[in-house]
Amino acid sequence: MAKVQDAPSLEEDAEERRLIDRSAAGDQEAFRQLVLRYHRLVINVAFRALGELALAEDVAQDVFIKVYKALPAYRHDKPFKHWLHRVAANAVTDALRRRRPIVSLDGMEQPPASRDADPQDIATRHDLQRAVRHAIASLPSHYRDTIALQAFGELSYDEIAKTLDIPLGTVMSRLNGAKKLLRERLGSIAHPEEEANTA
Amino acid sequence: MLSHTTTRDWLIPYADGMLAADERRRIDGHISGCAACAAELREVRELNLLLVTLPPAPPVAFAPFWLNLQAVLPQRRVLRIPSFPNYRRLGLALAAATVAMLLAAGSALAAPSALPDNPLYPIKQLEEGIKLTFTAANDRLTLQLQLASERLREARAMANDHKPLLAVNSLRAFRVTIDDSAAALKNPANPQAAKAAVLALRVELAAVEQANVARGDDDADVKQLVLAATDELDRIEGSEAVTTQPPVVVGEQATPQPTPQPTPKPKSSDSDNKKTSGDH
Repeated sequence: MAKVQDAPSLEEDAEERRLIDRSAAGDQEAFRQLVLRYHRLVINVAFRALGELALAEDVAQDVFIKVYKALPAYRHDKPFKHWLHRVAANAVTDALRRRRPIVSLDGMEQPPASRDADPQDIATRHDLQRAVRHAIASLPSHYRDTIALQAFGELSYDEIAKTLDIPLGTVMSRLNGAKKLLRERLGSIAHPEEEANTA
Repeated sequence: MLSHTTTRDWLIPYADGMLAADERRRIDGHISGCAACAAELREVRELNLLLVTLPPAPPVAFAPFWLNLQAVLPQRRVLRIPSFPNYRRLGLALAAATVAMLLAAGSALAAPSALPDNPLYPIKQLEEGIKLTFTAANDRLTLQLQLASERLREARAMANDHKPLLAVNSLRAFRVTIDDSAAALKNPANPQAAKAAVLALRVELAAVEQANVARGDDDADVKQLVLAATDELDRIEGSEAVTTQPPVVVGEQATPQPTPQPTPKPKSSDSDNKKTSGDH
């Protein structure tokens, strides 16, 4: 499991608070600095969830617009990054659910594969990734929001607990439930050979 | 020996490395003798592999992203006038001019003392912004300290009225104003006057906190922001002791600072990008 960066130093934290306060007061230059810090993170979350760069950028823009509007009510009782992750996770799962009926590989933009990669393998992997995204989108909301933070946001259990303001045990039980459902729904896709053997 | 049910319940946190050492040992013990649970663990790990191999986004240039975003950001404090058919415009313009004159006359009297819960408050903010823009550099610190004091007056009034969100907004605006004036405050033309002004701000900050506490159900954010603002004043005064050099005084008038200190800027794009890249 990839970990997000460590907590910012006190100095960075003070600088970030300053940027947040100024952005909340309508200072767009301060907000530009905040977006500069976090745009990669938000676009990555959206891209991992949606698999299409143009759409990921659109969703990332929506996330930052929501953040800008909500900043005057933002309270410093939790780190800005956790709050941003939560807004981003909500936005991408909404976008993913809206997009579920559309199933086409044509619009999918994937990082370039190595020259030696077998086109068949690449297509299979893309199919699997798309199936995983749609399976996550089909989960009940409390499972979906929790696993989105792990799968798309690459957060640890502890970070998910802090982001959602829930106990660590609840994160464990939600991820347990979410992954059980995902295994049920992805079973035949993830293990086609077993399916064929048992048929 | 653990049962199948317990083992299966724990397989996902086990595969995610979330179990304590003794719990892991118990699961290991069961799996080594149970083919069904070992097979299930393989499936859990395959699912984890699928989840962690969702690819990251290719690099995205910041400038066009920001320009697109900035174009759709809501403008705060800007009134938008909807478009109307041409034949109505003249009448509307006349009506608007009349209303504007009445508003201007009324607001000129009422706005300077308006509190954040007053409809005239945006006019007050606008007036302050214009005043600050057109104030000469030498007089700006004095005006900024007045505005900072005004923000604290508002915060105290809002705390008294049990409107903590508005109090928080005023305290944030106070911090922005103090932050803007920090460079000038560290090296003021008139250190004694600046010291007295900072002392007055401390007293007003304490009054805000008192008003907050007096409510019985004091707001944690107000308390936190008062502490943060006090720390900020400490930092400014602390660094003043180190960096202040006595300004040259000619007659009774201290010379203005030859080179106003710019507000410290956030780190450069490069360093930010480097830091951000560590997120992933």
